[in-house]
Amino acid sequence: MTNGTKEIPTARVRPKEEFNFFQDQRVRSAFYQILTAGIVGWLVWYLISNTAHNLEVRGMNTGFNFITASAGFDTDFKLIDYQPGVGTYGDIFIIGALNTLLISFLSIIVSTILGFTIGVLRLSSNWLVSKVALAYVEIFRNVPLLIQIVFWYIGVFSLLPVVKKSLDLSFGAERVILNNRGLYFATPVPGDLFWMTLVALAVAVIGAIIYRRRARKLQDASGKQTNTLLPSLAAIIVLPLAVYFATGMPLEWDIPTLQGFNYAGGTSVPPSFLALLVALSIYHAAHIAESVRAGILSVNRGQSEAAMSIGLKPGRVMAMVVIPQAMPAIVPPLISNWMNTVKNSSLAIAIGYSDIVSLFMQTALNQAGYAVEMVGMTMAFYMFISLTISFFLNIYNKRVQLVER
Amino acid sequence: MAIVKATKTPERPAPISETSILGWLQKNLFSSVFNSVLTLLTTYIIYLTISGVYVWGFVDATFVAETRRECYDNSLTGACWAGVIDWLDNIFYGRYPREELWRINFGGILLAFWMAPLWITRAKGKVLVGASVVAFYPFLAGYLFSGGDKGLFMQVMVSAAIVAFVINMANAIAGLLKQQSIAQFVISSLGQTNAADKSQRNLLIALVVVGFGVAYLWQSSWTVEFVSWTKWGGLFLTLVISGIGIASALPGGIILALGRRSKLPVLRVLSTGFIEIFRSVPLITVLFMATTMFPLFMPEGFVLNKLVQVIIAVVLFNACYMAETVRAGLQAIPKGQAEGAHTIGLGYWGTMGLIIMPQALKHMIPNIVGSFIGLLKDTTLVSIIGLFDILGMLRSISKDIPWLGLHKEPLIFGAILFFIICFAMSKYSRHLEVKLSAGDRH
Repeated sequence: MTNGTKEIPTARVRPKEEFNFFQDQRVRSAFYQILTAGIVGWLVWYLISNTAHNLEVRGMNTGFNFITASAGFDTDFKLIDYQPGVGTYGDIFIIGALNTLLISFLSIIVSTILGFTIGVLRLSSNWLVSKVALAYVEIFRNVPLLIQIVFWYIGVFSLLPVVKKSLDLSFGAERVILNNRGLYFATPVPGDLFWMTLVALAVAVIGAIIYRRRARKLQDASGKQTNTLLPSLAAIIVLPLAVYFATGMPLEWDIPTLQGFNYAGGTSVPPSFLALLVALSIYHAAHIAESVRAGILSVNRGQSEAAMSIGLKPGRVMAMVVIPQAMPAIVPPLISNWMNTVKNSSLAIAIGYSDIVSLFMQTALNQAGYAVEMVGMTMAFYMFISLTISFFLNIYNKRVQLVER
Repeated sequence: MAIVKATKTPERPAPISETSILGWLQKNLFSSVFNSVLTLLTTYIIYLTISGVYVWGFVDATFVAETRRECYDNSLTGACWAGVIDWLDNIFYGRYPREELWRINFGGILLAFWMAPLWITRAKGKVLVGASVVAFYPFLAGYLFSGGDKGLFMQVMVSAAIVAFVINMANAIAGLLKQQSIAQFVISSLGQTNAADKSQRNLLIALVVVGFGVAYLWQSSWTVEFVSWTKWGGLFLTLVISGIGIASALPGGIILALGRRSKLPVLRVLSTGFIEIFRSVPLITVLFMATTMFPLFMPEGFVLNKLVQVIIAVVLFNACYMAETVRAGLQAIPKGQAEGAHTIGLGYWGTMGLIIMPQALKHMIPNIVGSFIGLLKDTTLVSIIGLFDILGMLRSISKDIPWLGLHKEPLIFGAILFFIICFAMSKYSRHLEVKLSAGDRH
């Protein structure tokens, strides 16, 4: 070593990162994002400009003026007042939306009750019963819903007796009548003082709830059990009835009666409504049954064994121990099933029930021809419903998770 | 003095309640009064149902008749299967020309043979088999079904499909006989086993090119008659639409799912929006959008036929559902897997393609098959917008003059057909799940 000035390495300096334009992660990610945004943006612009051009060339109507324009066609099932020629396309939209919501709501209730029953039966200790439940689930899950709907409509509800030979479902009282034009049933028309009966009912229910709470508290504090079911039932039944009779029975019945060729009065629903209700309920019950079964099986077996060992009866084990714990596993698929029920109710179009798709997206569109707006409005309606439902589902999921930890 | 029994106590038979049928009955059907009543009631209901269906569907049914009236003359209370039997060809093939039906059958058999190696344990290169089906079969089948004049593109694709099919078959046979892939078999039978990798590869490529040339020359010597898509129908059309849907929904779903889980915000927002829009509306609105709005989207003078519109709608719709299935599978994979893959130096695509995706897809097999079953069932919706798929055909029987008003029997026949297909698929997926998870069980 002649010069003797060997460099002593000082504290390590991080080597300066060489900025390589093609290898830098930020540049790449920005590039990919700009590229995607560009392609999608161009595609959207291209479609929109094509659409605008096509609409102009074909002289098609655009804008939302049609909502206040009067619609010239009628529908066989509506929940609001509407007269063809007077009512507007906005009314048609509302009728369709309400019809969709009504059929979905009823189907959801029926399918949930039926689905829970079958899901529990599926786990029955009775071999035959569980196999019958299994057969139900497999048959109705594996046949397309549309075939089922059409079958119930054409194969069952359209083959019912004609008006003259209507079936009387109220055992001769002529209050509920079924024929190939639909189901007719008597509707109560509240009189002047009927609100008092409702108030009495509300009081009875609130009283029952308070009574129940007290009993629960007493049980928690002292272990004494009180029978709450009978007193609350008695209150809920007796009190409103007493008030009802005291006020002079202010309830009239609007009874369907045979006038000419058809029944008039009361409330009626067309066969397509019944077919859709039955088909949707049965189909979705099979799906719900499967998620109920999976949810119940997800509860540790030790839970029900422990519950049985402290002497609870099988029914109470199910209701008080297993089902409450299975709920977090059951509710999300259950709600997605409800959402599917709403969406599947659009198959009404195959049998002519006037839901939003068949009434607004098909009939109204064919009449008025605002294709883009009408398709858009219908889709927005469904999106609004699913967003609402998933909003509540998220709240539920958060609550369940908080309880757990 | 200890008392020791010197002889072994003879084994007693298991209690009668455990072994005999009576014991089983007592335990599973008559364990309590309530259960006994339930059993008897259920048996009675089952008896009523089955005997009713049996009498209606078999005993009183008419299988041979010319018109519905003849059915009635034979029996008023039985099913009239004669109408369904008379229409069987229509139910399966639609209005496809009768003398050309062999093309559909041949296409189906071709597909069965092409996919068969997937189920042969000894065959090699299963991923390639699957990929070649998805990449080449649609062109061959597409030409076979629609026919007409082959353009240059179609000629190339048909030749490529033929080559791929032949290689695939040879590969399967080589696997069955020698348990080798076709490449190994060719190399070893040409005595080139010791040659350099590169020269082996060149040899194989040369063989494929020659094969392609032969296939090209051969296929240019024949054409099949043109059949318009408007004549397609029945179960055939249902399977075409759902087949294309299935083949493209999975790749589309994987891309969308990756986009939704991407770190890049633009990709994430776009994929999420796309998925959520399509998932929140019913399929029928998407189909209507396809038929009423696609013509507006296209440049002037460019006309898509209805079948293509419907297929695009079905593919988009199902890709979004599949994306959510795939995403659920991706979420189930522990983070350590991706981190481990990064530490051994795999990039994004390596991590996804080699480590994450195979595990995620394996996890989700029952759900993926469930989506396929849903897709097959949903395909019946195309009958609403006027395509004559199987449901459209079943419903037209009642409008045929000799069978006027025959509604129930065709629908029940269709229901049974769908039940068999869907039930078999779901049973098979459960079997596959058990088979594939064999390594995970302890």
